[in-house]
Formats: sequence, structure tokens, C-alpha cells
Amino acid sequence: MTEVVLTENPRAPLAPTAVELTAEQRSAVDIAVRPVVVWLFLTSVCWLLAATSLGAFAALKLHFPRLLDYTCMSYGRLAPAAQGAFVFGWCSTAALGVVSWLLPRLGGSVAPGTTVASLGVVLWNAGVLLGVFANIAGILRPIEGLEFPFASFVLMFGGLSLLAAWILLGLSAAGTKSLAGMFVAGGLLWLGWSLFTGNLLIATKSVVGVVEQIVGAWTASGVLWLWLVPVALGVAYYIVPKVTGRPIFSGSTGRSLFWLYFLCAGLLGANRLSGGPVPLWLVSVSASASLLLLVPVLGAVFNLCATAKDSEHLSTSPSLRFVLFGSLLLGVAALASAFGSLRSINYAVRFTMFESGVQTLLLSGAVSMILFGAIYFIMPRLSGCEWLSSTLISVHFMGGAYGACMGGAMLVLSGLASGSILTEGDSTFSQVIETGSAYYWGNTISYGILWVAYAAFALHFLLVALRIGQPAGEPTLFRVKRGH
Amino acid sequence: MSRSSTLFAGLAACFALSLGLCVLLPQAQLGSLAPDFKEEDGKISDVYPTLTGGIASAGREVYISQGCQACHSQVVRGAETTDMERGWGVRRTVARDYLFENPPVLGVRRIGPDLANVGASGWRNEPANDSARPAKRDATWHFLHLYHPTAIIKVSNMPAYKGLFDLRKITGSPSLDALALPAEMAPPSGYEVVPKAEAKSLVAYLLSLDRSHPLKEAGAVAVAAKKN
Repeated sequence: MTEVVLTENPRAPLAPTAVELTAEQRSAVDIAVRPVVVWLFLTSVCWLLAATSLGAFAALKLHFPRLLDYTCMSYGRLAPAAQGAFVFGWCSTAALGVVSWLLPRLGGSVAPGTTVASLGVVLWNAGVLLGVFANIAGILRPIEGLEFPFASFVLMFGGLSLLAAWILLGLSAAGTKSLAGMFVAGGLLWLGWSLFTGNLLIATKSVVGVVEQIVGAWTASGVLWLWLVPVALGVAYYIVPKVTGRPIFSGSTGRSLFWLYFLCAGLLGANRLSGGPVPLWLVSVSASASLLLLVPVLGAVFNLCATAKDSEHLSTSPSLRFVLFGSLLLGVAALASAFGSLRSINYAVRFTMFESGVQTLLLSGAVSMILFGAIYFIMPRLSGCEWLSSTLISVHFMGGAYGACMGGAMLVLSGLASGSILTEGDSTFSQVIETGSAYYWGNTISYGILWVAYAAFALHFLLVALRIGQPAGEPTLFRVKRGH
Repeated sequence: MSRSSTLFAGLAACFALSLGLCVLLPQAQLGSLAPDFKEEDGKISDVYPTLTGGIASAGREVYISQGCQACHSQVVRGAETTDMERGWGVRRTVARDYLFENPPVLGVRRIGPDLANVGASGWRNEPANDSARPAKRDATWHFLHLYHPTAIIKVSNMPAYKGLFDLRKITGSPSLDALALPAEMAPPSGYEVVPKAEAKSLVAYLLSLDRSHPLKEAGAVAVAAKKN
């Protein structure tokens, strides 16, 4: 067991991390978790490219529905496969990698059994792979966000259990002291609980009819808002103080908002079923929750920005720039989501591309950018080698930021445009579709931009994993133009 | 209590609240729904909904497997939206409509029209007096539409599901179920296009989609009266 002796810091809650580890302790943790974390990151980057390619092809299919007209290539199969590969393959796998590094780093201890944890990585990825191929082959569940068949969730849950057990067994009390640790541990627990409960209820036919869709919406929304977003927030609460060298602007407010966040985000599920055959009170609860959720989300964004305000690292640190940009987009996505849940707006934008646009802002924008920031921070510490080129990082940042914003904005605009026509009773449905589809080109082009950015990142990642880069010691920073 | 156990207990409480309010309470409200029926002199009649069986239920699997739900919803919303004005239904759909569907294919996007009632005789996706409106959306219409959507609806953005059909050499007399295709898309002479079993069950499923049976919780009577 790689147990690291801790020296308790009495002023811990205010410090950037809960426990101050010595350099030797930090590197002992890094070495212990390295095999698991690097495998998680490596597979997640492969999924990122696969998901973006599938997504680009699905987006193209919206203009050319009869392009490569094979049964397995229809939009109806590509779209869920791309979405699943992105959410479970890229976002969740990378998030698992971040959690596997961050919690041991915060607590200063690692549980034994990295072999078992590595088996978890294999099982998790096998589940995602099975799900993507099953979707393309036409084996899918008609539940948005949970289209992967039950068998693939069994594999994924098995892998998740091994990984989570390894992480939580090594967790010392210090690990969950800081805001970062709280968010990350909370997200990990919720993912396990909700995937287990949701799939069990559906697979055992404990719920039937419309309730099955209610359970599906609750589970799928939990994966986004109670697993990926908390991990992103946890990472931001770790990286921003760490890079700027300052304590969090208001730690106590951060803690209160943490509880408000988990309370509200747990009630969001039924937003995906608004207007449908579900109890009206349930939709009202979810709509109110998305409005109330603005308080903890915007509060956290403010807290992070206030921490980093005027820091000299803003212009140089890639990690900080990715994380802060992602946090801002998280605020934007939460605002858009709350706007879309207002009843009068919802009548118009429901069943349009609006919701997909918000999801693009949330996943390709907020969550992915923050995870990229984390990987830029973590990988040099694991491989002992700094990133090769600040130009490649710049390309990745510009492309990733622009692509995500453009794709999200185009789909949101498409939703608003077709929604406003939809509310006019004398419009024909073809007019509604034509108005909305005017924006699809923007969405398709954004996939091209994202693909270039992600390919640059994947190449760079491969290089740093193979220890091809700058000699250790000097972090790779953005070049700053010096005026005088 | 240590800090981690407070954290875990608090999170478990949040999870319990979320599960209770968003899953268990809806299940308590909707879990015991039963079909609606009329009872006169001890005789039960007019049961709705009934279990869809046979070929239509196989067609539901084809519908799901082809990913139709990615572009088509099966939800008619109330009069506060234009869903009914568009001809997609005469009343909003309610939980009882989906009693025997596990899970119901509600859908989240409408890149194509809503199909909750596509098998009902009054269903339309064009303005009522539009000349482009087909006289009847029967099995023949659906086969042709699945095989070549733009042959019928010029602006359609639906993929052509040619994989659901066989291109076959005619031996003896032509098959009875061969598609009557317009000249520009007709197969080479001596060949015919016939629907596979999947296409037949899919069309049977589409034709079975009719959720216009009056239900008191859907306010069907009020809507019907307003229309006339």
C-alpha cells in the first residue's frame, strides 16, 4: 500500500488544497495512480475522436438524409451512438481519470489494487464499446440519453464499481475536506447510485409505461448534471486556487452553494418530458429547479472568477484558461437551460434543436473544456514531461472554444427560430423544418472545427504520454506579447 | 461525525429526495393506472387501451431499431400548443395511452411530424385544404413513402429505407405486394420491389397508432366540441 504520511495543516479549509503534501508525497501518489489514470485518459481521448467523427457524420446527415443510405448509417442510429460515445466514452472516462488522480492527491493516500482498478477501466470501456456498436447495429432503447442496451450498462457499472471502490477505499478524511473533493466525491457517488437504480428499475420492469421514461429522464439527467458537472466544478475549484496560488474567494459560500446545487440538480430530470404525458406538477418541479439551480451555478462561476481576478497566470497558464472558459460556459448553459424551461418559452422550443444546443454548450463547451484543463495540468505530473508545444495548445483552445460555442449557438438559434414559427398555427410543418434547418450548416461546420482542435489535442496527448515534450521543470505556457 | 460521513449522509439525503420526488411519487401516481372501459348491465365494452400484439408489436421493435424516435415524437400536447391544429391529434395524449408500452417511444425531437396518431383516419401534416395532402395514408402510401420519401413529399428530409425492401427478379407472375413505383424510380424491367417482413410489420405498427379514443383525463370531449 502506498500510504503517505500526512502532516495536518490546522488552516486547511482556507488553503487551496486540504492537506499540504511535500513534493515527495505528491510524487509518490502520482506514481501510484499513474497506470490507472493514464489508461483512462488515453481511452477517453480515443473516444473523443470517435464521438466527434460520429457526431460530424450525424450532423451531415441532417442536410443529406440519403447520403450513404445504409440502414446502419441513418441519423436515428448515428445520433445516439455519437451521443453515448461522447457522454460515456469521452466525458465520463476522462472525468473518472480526473477523479482517480484528484481524490488521492487531496487525501494523500492511495489504496492498493491498481490491477483491479485497471480491470475496471477495461470493463468500463468494453461497456461503452458494446453500447456504441449495439446502437449502430440497431439494438437500442428508445430512452434519450440511455440508448445503450442494458448489457452495456452492466459492464460499465461493473467497471465503475471496481474503480470507485479503489478510489473510495484509498480516500482519507482529508480527501473530502476541500470544495474540490466534495464536488468530485459527490459526483462519483451519484453516478454509481443513479446508474444502478435507474437501470435496475427499468430492467426489472418495476416501472412500466410512461414511468419508465420518467426514470430514464431522471437517470440520464443525473449523468449530466450530477456527475459530469460536479466533477467539472470540483476540478475548477482545485485548479483555479492551485494555479493562481490564492485561496478560494469565499470558501464558506462555496460550501453552502454545494448543498444547494445537489438539492436542485437532483430534481431536473422531468424537464426532458415537459408537455408530455407526465404529471404537470413533476414538470413544474423540474422547471423551478432549473431556475433555482442558477443560484449555485452562477455563484460558483462568480466564486471562481473572483479567485482568479487579475492573476498574472490568466494570460499564461493553459489549464487556468481552459478551466475558466469552461466555467463561464457552464453559467451560459445553465442560463439557457433555465430560459428554455420557462413555460411560455418551452411550448415553442420543446421538440426543436434547442435542447441539443444547450447540451452542446454544456458538454462540448463547459465540461469538455474543464476536463481538457485538468488533463493539461495532470499529465505532465504523471509522465514527468511537459507539453511539447504551446502553439498546439492554442490551436486546441481556439478550436475547442469556437467550435463548441458555434455548434451550441447554431442549435439554440435553430430551436428558437423553428419554435417561433411553430407557435403560429397557420404555418406548415415543412416551413418549421426549413427555418430550423437553415442553421444546420453552422452546426456541421462547427464539428469540422472541433475535429481539428481535438485531433491537435490527441496528437499532443500521445506525445506527452510517450514522454516526447519539453524537459520537465518548466511548464509549457502560452507566450505573452510583451508590450514594454 | 467526521467530515466525510457528514458529506456522504448529506449526499444520500439529496439522492433520497431526488428519487422520492422524481421517481417514486410519479410511480405512486401512475403505477396503478388501468385501461378505461364502459360497463353496462354487467357487460364490459369499449376497453382502451388494449395490448398491441402480433405483427404491429413486431413493427414497434423495427421502429425502435431503425431509430425513428430520433426524429419523430409520439406526444400530442394540449391546446396551448399548435400540435392539434396541425392535425396530429384531436386531444392531448396522457399516461393511460401508453399503458402497454415499455417504454413508450415518446421521442424528444421533431425533425419529422409527430406520429402519435398517424394511423388515425383524420391524421394530417398539411393544412386541411392543402392540395399536397394525400387522400389516404394507407399501407400502400406508407410502403412507397418508406421506400422513397421524396417521391411523395417533395421537400421531405427523411432517409429512404430501401433496406426494408427486396429487389427481386420476377419469376412467373409479379408479386401481389410489389410496389407500384413511378417510372423514374422503377426497377429494371423483369424486376420488382417487394417489402420485407420488417417493412410489413413497421407499416402495420404505424397504422395501429391511434390515440384518439376519448379519455376523460385528456378532456377529449371539450376539444371535440370546440372543433365543431
